[in-house]
Amino acid sequence: MSSKINGHVSPQPCPHLLDFRSRNGPKPFRALHDCIRVKPPGGCAAIRREPSEVPRCGTCEESSRSRLYACVACAAVFCHAPLLHSHASDHALSIPGHEIAVDVDRAELFCCACGDQVYDRDFDAAVVLAQTVNATATTSTSGSTAMQCSVAGSQPENLRKRRRVDYRPWEPDSGEHISRGNQSIPLLDATNASLVSSTQQPWGLRGLNNLGNTCFMNSILQALLHTPPLRNYFLGDRHNRYYCQQKNGAINGTKNSRLCLACDMDAIFSAVFSGDRTPYSPAKFLYSWWQHAANLASYEQQDAHEFFISMLEGIHEKVEKDKRKSQSPAGGGDCCIAHRVFSGILRSDVMCMVCGFTSTTYDPCVDISLDLEPNQGGSGKSSSAKSLNSCNVEADCMHPNQNGGISTLNGCLERFTRAEKLGSDQKFFCQKCQVRQESLKQMSIRKLPLVSCFHVKRFEHSSIRKMSRKVDRFLQFPFSLDMAPYLSSSILRSRFGNRIFPFDGDEQDASNDLSTEFELFAVVTHSGRLDAGHYVTYLRLSNQWYKCDDAWITQVNESIVRAAQGYMMFYVQKVLYYKESENQGTS
Amino acid sequence: MSRPPPPPPTTNKDQQHQNPSLQEINIKLIQSGEKERLKELLRERLLECGWIDEMKALCRAFTRKKGRNNVTVDDLVHVISPKGRASVPNSVKAELLQRIRAFLASTAD
Repeated sequence: MSSKINGHVSPQPCPHLLDFRSRNGPKPFRALHDCIRVKPPGGCAAIRREPSEVPRCGTCEESSRSRLYACVACAAVFCHAPLLHSHASDHALSIPGHEIAVDVDRAELFCCACGDQVYDRDFDAAVVLAQTVNATATTSTSGSTAMQCSVAGSQPENLRKRRRVDYRPWEPDSGEHISRGNQSIPLLDATNASLVSSTQQPWGLRGLNNLGNTCFMNSILQALLHTPPLRNYFLGDRHNRYYCQQKNGAINGTKNSRLCLACDMDAIFSAVFSGDRTPYSPAKFLYSWWQHAANLASYEQQDAHEFFISMLEGIHEKVEKDKRKSQSPAGGGDCCIAHRVFSGILRSDVMCMVCGFTSTTYDPCVDISLDLEPNQGGSGKSSSAKSLNSCNVEADCMHPNQNGGISTLNGCLERFTRAEKLGSDQKFFCQKCQVRQESLKQMSIRKLPLVSCFHVKRFEHSSIRKMSRKVDRFLQFPFSLDMAPYLSSSILRSRFGNRIFPFDGDEQDASNDLSTEFELFAVVTHSGRLDAGHYVTYLRLSNQWYKCDDAWITQVNESIVRAAQGYMMFYVQKVLYYKESENQGTS
Repeated sequence: MSRPPPPPPTTNKDQQHQNPSLQEINIKLIQSGEKERLKELLRERLLECGWIDEMKALCRAFTRKKGRNNVTVDDLVHVISPKGRASVPNSVKAELLQRIRAFLASTAD
């Protein structure tokens, strides 16, 4: 019933649909196009001959209980309740050529003879276009930043399917047997058990000394030290600083060994998880990072997010120079541990308002930067009326008191994936029209990373006005987060329903791969002013929260964390998050 | 494409002062736009309580058993309707009923 064309699965038309098309000329659904009505609040498409028509079955007057279908050939409306009676089927069987009908409330084609949905590319294109045109009438023109909209080829690059491997428990090989005996230290034995149990704190909690306005670095390091996949990688000796090729300069083993940020990370992991509780000074790491990011080398205050990005780049650079590793596709995340953990893929759809042609591009990303909503004045109405996504924002309209005008992380994500009209100064060159046209752009997430980092844009820099300011507004963030509504498959489906898209809408359901549920494990907060502020990280270990303020680590109540001013929030896939029992690691 | 004749009117003057029929309520709901809003509310509630995911799972299981090319929309509707109707949470039913009552009260002649 379906065939693959260029990797896209298109449902084959049934014989009745084929017959209908062949007998009704090149545009068999042309008359229907005028009847497509897009209904607020959800933006769903319906079929109505007049805008206020109440559809009713021509045979039995039924209008409320069953699905109603309009015959495409003669526009007569009939009910269809397969369990009881179907006047739509009666009609279809009695008049040849009248088998194809359209669901009046969903604008989906149906073959009454086959009893199944059918799909027609032209009809679906018309519906998608109608919904898009409706979107522009209701979406406000926001001054969105112009991202480069590269025109993609006819299809995106082939994304590799994840290979499944059977589980086999680990057995040490001969080399590992030896090193186990000689060099490794058991985590808990008679000698260090007392050290650990005396403090009653989980493993890996150690203060970091401030070396001079380095709280930006300490806060990010604390978050990374407890990022589960990253922690497992380094504690699992996957990057050994003694054997590292990069650092030892495989070409010439000079004394000035080339810097490797991953080795320095390895050293910090060893130090922090050693069981020693006295505060640690990451001076070597700071020095290495200065060499890597020379423009940021100073004792001035820095932005934690900038540091985070430059750190990931630093770890990535190491592997890129290894010529043996083949260049993996963008976003594949196979290049280095930093990308394996943090890299996801964003999808951007830019749709021409005039002809509906859509250009889809995929870009890898290591985090998502979110804008805080502009001041709403507490009513919350401004954001909800213009949305296309049906369910989530409609809640705001229904229950204006529910969030009381407080910004939430989900609200920011919803805004991030909302369709926006690109301003008239950002007209996009449409391949089909061959001119610049006004367009609608929508972001969604094609592939979720193992760890999602959300960065709240609290620091606004205006080069025009030559000033910067900090946005202090409170942002509410959840401890558990489901990213399903922001995936590409969800966004497209909630906008258009069951369609063949005139652009690439067919994707394997991302929820089949890994779960979409995430758990919060680290929050980096900023307090103070833009030029004089302080970063603090809150970590969630064994379901307890710990405040990491440079060298001071204290256990805090979760209410403190909820009330904190979040700047960067780190979420890990729930399947990787171990809600350890409280007694683990302590005697 | 020829248009069929319009359906005959169903309401007569006697009925207006009695309890409105289902058809009349339906028309009122549709014409005021309330039906669309109720549908959106219902969709959200069923999503929140996992009902939609349950139905999806049922459809998937059925389709896997019968084979992807041997299943029609009507089959799926037939299979999940009884279970679906039975598993709508009472709180959702109550909320919708309450809203409909409130709407009818506010628009009573």
